[in-house]
Amino acid sequence: MFGRLLALNWKIFVSNLNRFQLLLLIGYIMFLGIMTVNLVGTAIVVILLDTDPWMKTQIPWLTPEIYTFLLLVFANSYWVMHFSFTNLRLLNIAENRKLLGFGFPLKRLSRYLMIIGFCHPVNIIYNFTWLVFLMIQVSHFYQVLIGVAAIIFNYVLIYSIKHRFIKIVERKFIAVVVGFLFLIFGLFQAVSLFAENSQEIFVQIVPRVETLNSFLSWSPGGLLIQTVNVEYGWTTAVIIFGFLTLLIGLILIDHFRKTCEGLINPTIRKVEQQTSKLWAFLRRVMGINAGKYYYYVMIHPYNKLQLLTLAVVPVVYVPILLQVKYSAAQTILIPTILAGIPVALLAMGMANMYGYENRELLMHLQFPIKLEKQLKERFLGVIIFPLLVFYIITIFELLLIPQIVGVYKIFVANTFFFLCFMVLFIWSSYYQYQKATYSSMSYKHPIIPQKVTFVITFVIFSMGYLIFVPLENLEWYRITIMSVVIVVIGVYLWRHMSFLVNLFKKQILKRLWTE
Amino acid sequence: MSEAISIKGLIKSYDDNIVLKELDLSIPKGSIFGLIGPNGAGKSTLIGVLTGLLSFDDGYITIDEMRFIDENEEAIKKEIASVLQPPLLFEQFTSIEFIEYVCEIYEIEKKGLIEKAYSLMDFFEIKDFAKTKIHKLSSGSRKKLAFVTAVLTEPIVLLLDEPFEAVDVISIERMKTVLRKLKDKGVTMIITSHILEVVENLCDDIAILHQGRIIAYLDSISRKSLKEHSTLQEIFSEYVKVEGKDDIVDWL
Repeated sequence: MFGRLLALNWKIFVSNLNRFQLLLLIGYIMFLGIMTVNLVGTAIVVILLDTDPWMKTQIPWLTPEIYTFLLLVFANSYWVMHFSFTNLRLLNIAENRKLLGFGFPLKRLSRYLMIIGFCHPVNIIYNFTWLVFLMIQVSHFYQVLIGVAAIIFNYVLIYSIKHRFIKIVERKFIAVVVGFLFLIFGLFQAVSLFAENSQEIFVQIVPRVETLNSFLSWSPGGLLIQTVNVEYGWTTAVIIFGFLTLLIGLILIDHFRKTCEGLINPTIRKVEQQTSKLWAFLRRVMGINAGKYYYYVMIHPYNKLQLLTLAVVPVVYVPILLQVKYSAAQTILIPTILAGIPVALLAMGMANMYGYENRELLMHLQFPIKLEKQLKERFLGVIIFPLLVFYIITIFELLLIPQIVGVYKIFVANTFFFLCFMVLFIWSSYYQYQKATYSSMSYKHPIIPQKVTFVITFVIFSMGYLIFVPLENLEWYRITIMSVVIVVIGVYLWRHMSFLVNLFKKQILKRLWTE
Repeated sequence: MSEAISIKGLIKSYDDNIVLKELDLSIPKGSIFGLIGPNGAGKSTLIGVLTGLLSFDDGYITIDEMRFIDENEEAIKKEIASVLQPPLLFEQFTSIEFIEYVCEIYEIEKKGLIEKAYSLMDFFEIKDFAKTKIHKLSSGSRKKLAFVTAVLTEPIVLLLDEPFEAVDVISIERMKTVLRKLKDKGVTMIITSHILEVVENLCDDIAILHQGRIIAYLDSISRKSLKEHSTLQEIFSEYVKVEGKDDIVDWL
């Protein structure tokens, strides 16, 4: 029975993937392998940092306090990662609960689903890495027992917290991601600063490390470390072990009951009163067609996240790159990153232009307004915001970082960049249409198909390296080519606006009707 | 009585599959017309064509004396409202935002609109969901909201594809009340449904669509004489009956 359920869940998972995603699955498996090796490897390196003689010659500043500090930072960062990536959406509950209608016993189904959830590779990798990380530090046998119990307790606790507070976690998801982005990029900045001023920084930081250590040792990662590096003796170990086992049992029973409840009460509809100021604003500014469309784009959770990333990345990277003494970094990377921002904004709105509204577009077809007019308004609405950002960035580049390239060149290059991607996104809208879901942040159902995202990323960087590299005497040649292409694309788009309607009728309408 | 909708030689196919086969149909102004038929008969496709959602391969459609061609598209669509199955709604709007949006497009006078909307929503017991996002509504509430919105656009022709599906009995009765009032105001309606009792009670004329063709047309006069002998259910079964299937499940 369990085997069949496992097979069913595997089939549900695979049937939701298209061929390209299936190919990605191979990459995902490889990624998981690399991730395991990296995580376990990092854990081992961190632990052996102070015992390896070669390491001692390379990092003479590694005092026992700093070593403990690094260990605690690693454990806590790892715990945060574990918490974030413990996946609650591994199982399609809606599909699995159909089994109840075919006579599958509720309790058995709930028990099996809990086991299958644990069997997800990501869960296994995180728990296995904890096991390696803690077991290397063990000096007594009783620490092995406590360490293993603590790892299991940690897992069930994380799972239970996320399951119980799933709505809060989702609502705070953006805040968590912002926190992470700042943490990661902040770390990059700290490293870059540290590389140039290590002596001064150490003088300031070292005295504070002990205080930090005493704080970090009582945080989740620190507590896990304490289970294997504190000598508490057999009596205390037995008490802790018994207590942990009891807690694990209680949490599992609670989780089992919650799963049963979830299976028989799948959705609880709450009547929430909502009014949207954003919709009222967009409707006033952009009109009822473009306004409605942009409202859908803006409220999608993916896009909120993307906007945030787009704001954070340049704010952190551009100042760093400006400090780098290698001039190519400034002349190529900065313009590429900055030109990528309006392109990414354009992609949000245009790369899957019909995916946001899906069948709702059928209702728009019934309205007494020409389809051509409605689509044109959407098209123009989509480009207004990225275009505004495009001009702000170009002016910013000209005024604040003139060293990267000349006035005329940067304008031509950015326009060229923008128009080329517009053509790519129109193509993507029609030929790569897919329904954009609003229900979750699942990366299995992105708004823009993965193959388009891959193409965008690839083309942004390859075009960036072609467009922004100074060609000295041949510069005029490239500017001329870009200018000609800009004119050709511009005229073509202007004169063939009707193809928006024709392609829509040919490509999308039939799918919407039968969807 | 003059015609509100006239269809002549209508052909519609999906690739090689011909769904509507030279269909002829006339619907008098101010009548409630029932279109019944088994699954896959082409009812929804016909509604789709009449709403302008689907193109057709051949034939003529005239609505309110206007030929269904590109030049008349906007004028015709302004006179039509529909409730499709599943209903088309703007999921990220609240119910009241949706009504306001659609009515604005149909250029319905704003004065008094909200009051009318709330009163109709109250009538169908969905007033509490006025400020709830549509994707959170149950399927019955969604159907009722689509119906309320269609009524508020003040159509001349109302197309209803399975409007009673997923709707509770009390609301069906209230829908019938609204439809009769609209009929009194001269609105022409086409209703498709599998609930034959409702169709029988509500509609003036009824047609049975089967395999893309109208196989029976029962106007109010012929129905009166038929009614004495048989119900609509019996007439439907008689026309749509497929011979030789009963013995398939003899093993049961």
